[in-house]
Amino acid sequence: MLLTLDLNDPRPLHEQVAGAIRRAIADGSYAPGDRLPPARDLAGALGINANTVLRALRELRDEGLLEFRRGRGVSVLNRPDAHAVLVEAARELLAEADRYGYGPEEVIHIIRELS
Amino acid sequence: MTSAPSPGRNAAPARGLAVTVAAVWGTSVTAAMVAVPLALRDRLPDPLATHWSGGSVPDDNMSFAADLVVTLALWGVAWIILLAAALHGAALRTRIIRINWWAFLFGWAVFALGVQGSTLYANLDAATWREAELPPWTIFAVLLVAFAVGTLAGYLGRGGPDPATGHPAEPPPAVRLRPGRRTVWVSRVSNPWLTWLAVTAPVAALIVIGLAAGDVVDVPAAWSILSVAVPISLLGVATATVRVTVDPQGLRVGLGPWGWPARRTPAGAIESAWAERRTPGEVGGWGVRSVPGTGRTTLMLRGGDHLVIRRARGGEFAVSADDAERGAALLNAYIAEAAGS
Repeated sequence: MLLTLDLNDPRPLHEQVAGAIRRAIADGSYAPGDRLPPARDLAGALGINANTVLRALRELRDEGLLEFRRGRGVSVLNRPDAHAVLVEAARELLAEADRYGYGPEEVIHIIRELS
Repeated sequence: MTSAPSPGRNAAPARGLAVTVAAVWGTSVTAAMVAVPLALRDRLPDPLATHWSGGSVPDDNMSFAADLVVTLALWGVAWIILLAAALHGAALRTRIIRINWWAFLFGWAVFALGVQGSTLYANLDAATWREAELPPWTIFAVLLVAFAVGTLAGYLGRGGPDPATGHPAEPPPAVRLRPGRRTVWVSRVSNPWLTWLAVTAPVAALIVIGLAAGDVVDVPAAWSILSVAVPISLLGVATATVRVTVDPQGLRVGLGPWGWPARRTPAGAIESAWAERRTPGEVGGWGVRSVPGTGRTTLMLRGGDHLVIRRARGGEFAVSADDAERGAALLNAYIAEAAGS
């Protein structure tokens, strides 16, 4: 599972982790039914507390993306819906634009030009 | 094109030949093993002497039919397994397996024929099984000839060298690293069957201790079994689960359910990484597998995707990992970064 955290993202860490996992499921590296690596492994690799990852996993479970099963760990239940995926992608685009000094209005302008 | 032939294109004719030879040769051997004793039946005692200890005097016997069944099973089981392996195809894809396959097909047949032949030779024209004398050198001759035939067959059947594994034709998905971000990749694979096997070993050991306590087996024997079972079990548990992580420092492979002990390979020490499908048949089984002389090691937990790295100072290491393509892509990005800085 490929996960990216933006160290400058002002959102709470568990939200960012949930976003990263949502992206990983959306890009097809994990299909419904597949088991996720344990929260401990994800936390260790990201260098954050395991409870933060667990909180993110619980959020995704409440969204209906993940399923918790005793003794079988956490597995993917559904792919995220289009809206959630697009929100993540837009957030990424805005962060990228910000690095070049572009504001949201300019990004919207670029999108209008393209469509 | 001067590139090495792909294993897929290479395997088909080699497999057809192997299946044909195994079928024809195996049928002939089986026919001989049935026909020869039947033809000589009038000159053989019943029961037959079937076991000799030390000198040339027999110390055990079996009826004619039982001996025939045992000898046929000795050959037939191996033949069926070899034939199934050839039909499966994947088994003959690597050279080390091909050599073993051909060596076994001929060496084992010669061994089984030799066992039967020497038994018949000893019993021929004997009045009862007690008079069937077997010169002690025969068993050595049988072993020697079987080994020689097996070695020759393995040599002749070795086929071409294994195609150099390399990068897949299409470029791997690129991962962009951006400052101010931490990108990691995590995969965990475990094989429940291997874990189960590893856990049953100490259970067996405990039963042995129980028997020792009940004076059924003696205590030193129990200790020696325990001293073997416990390390095997620990090793089994450790290699039945593997946690593979790629982070800015490089690759980390943690063994066992706790991911410890772990081995770290810094990105700077890796030349390149890629994903590859490998099966236990190709590498010679499960667990840590390496072919001497090739510098290739595989930590095999299940057939399927593996993350493979080539070290900067030579040698390849592969480990079972789901979603290995993304892991390889990220590792390559970190390798490029390490090379650039």
